[in-house]
Amino acid sequence: MIEPLKVLIVEDEALLAMELEGLVEDAGHSVVGWATSLTEARTMVDTTAADIAFVDIHLTDGPTGVEVAEYIGQKKNAMVVFMTANPKRIPDHFAGAIGVIAKPYTMNGLTSALRYLQEGVRRPPPVSVLPSGFTLSPAFETVWASSGA
Amino acid sequence: MDWKRTREPADAWRMTDDLHAEHGKGDPFAAAIRATRMSMIITDPRQQDNPIVFANDAFLRLTGYERDEVMGKNCRFLQGPKTDKAAVDKVRAAIEDRADIAVDLLNYRKDGSSFWNALYISPVSNDKGELQFFFASQLDVSDRKSSEHRVKADKDRFEKAVQERTSELEAALEAQTTLLHEVDHRVKNNLQMISSLIIMQSRTMKDESTKQSLSTMLARIEALSTVHRRLYQSKDVSRFDVSDFARDLVSDLLTASGRSEIKSTLDLEPIVISAEKATPVALMVNELVTNALKHAFKEKPDGTRAGRIGIKMSQPDGHFNIEVSDDGVGMADASGDASFGMRLIKSLARQLRADIEWRDAGPGTKVIISMPNEPQQKGNVS
Repeated sequence: MIEPLKVLIVEDEALLAMELEGLVEDAGHSVVGWATSLTEARTMVDTTAADIAFVDIHLTDGPTGVEVAEYIGQKKNAMVVFMTANPKRIPDHFAGAIGVIAKPYTMNGLTSALRYLQEGVRRPPPVSVLPSGFTLSPAFETVWASSGA
Repeated sequence: MDWKRTREPADAWRMTDDLHAEHGKGDPFAAAIRATRMSMIITDPRQQDNPIVFANDAFLRLTGYERDEVMGKNCRFLQGPKTDKAAVDKVRAAIEDRADIAVDLLNYRKDGSSFWNALYISPVSNDKGELQFFFASQLDVSDRKSSEHRVKADKDRFEKAVQERTSELEAALEAQTTLLHEVDHRVKNNLQMISSLIIMQSRTMKDESTKQSLSTMLARIEALSTVHRRLYQSKDVSRFDVSDFARDLVSDLLTASGRSEIKSTLDLEPIVISAEKATPVALMVNELVTNALKHAFKEKPDGTRAGRIGIKMSQPDGHFNIEVSDDGVGMADASGDASFGMRLIKSLARQLRADIEWRDAGPGTKVIISMPNEPQQKGNVS
């Protein structure tokens, strides 16, 4: 049994954050925090220990998700996965993130992504097939994709 | 006057002046030059400041001067405030180089009015190659010039109008694109929220059949969501790769069912359908696979619940065929026409003008859907 993940949710829509929390917990992981803005996310990153942050691009203070990812990247204490309905707004270099789960995702798509990420974080590279709806960043594609599928 | 002091060649012109009295009797060429409607002058570059030594009547008519007002003067008295200095420099350079020149100059009459002068100047040399005169002709081309100006003004105005219209259209297009992205973003978020609401509601349900209904509903909404996501991720929002979609859908539904003992066999040609068919096709495939998962794999006589679901997509001449098969308990146990899922499949088939057929595949069931599909290139849209 691989150790479960500690997840930080950065999402401005309460409904989506609630459901994500439910799915994360159903899959046996835990949610360490929920932030709705860049400011909240910074505080949360400084005060909690998360393995993975799911980061929406559009937050209550604007399209600041990329900045959240950069902040987490500087702290080097968690890995980032973008979760957005607007993947085209993600910069080419992905701000160091693993990849993106495009909204709308399916329940199973997210569950599979959690399993894939759990393997990737705890025992990289992941052995599961890359879930549908999950796109790896160019950097992670070279490291993870070749081994998974 | 200057010309009185000039040497022989200029005197020769003076002699032609004398011919004037004998009108037509002397040199016929000189007479022709005097009488022609074309304005002409001759200047003597060997004298100080290259003065006019001959001017015909047409020149006097064109410029409004008397003969004694022009004889012995340099031609620059024709220039005025709006004469193009660069054009005048060209004339000067040509005279220094003893070369021909043709140039349009804005010149002024005695009364101050202006006219466009198509000036032509050429040097005249004697047998020894020594420069003797400059011969110049003037043609009033004001009409041509003004129409040239009008054409240029019209052209400039049209170009400006086209440019303005183009930038208006570009701005409008940009606004439309922004709006489209915004709407797309909201549609995706809203679809995600609908799914989220169902998932969260389902989590609180104790009753198994209610949970089941909600999960069926979730699968349908997720099928719609996936169509939308795939369409707007591809480069062409008008074409939909149905085989890629089917692959993801089957893996999603199988995993969601938690029935790892059921395997899938996929035989999918790359098939592209138009965007408006994407949603009904996706919903139909979702219903068929969900149905098979739900009803086909009851406990078999040998006590196992294992099974296999197959999806085949092909496009024989002008048609798009979908086959969903299972090796389950067969049609006898499949739910009847009354079920909502079945009604959904039949209605969607009507919308798509598809023929649908249930076959007893012994063991199991095979559903064959065949619909017309426009000719197309094979391959992926994304």
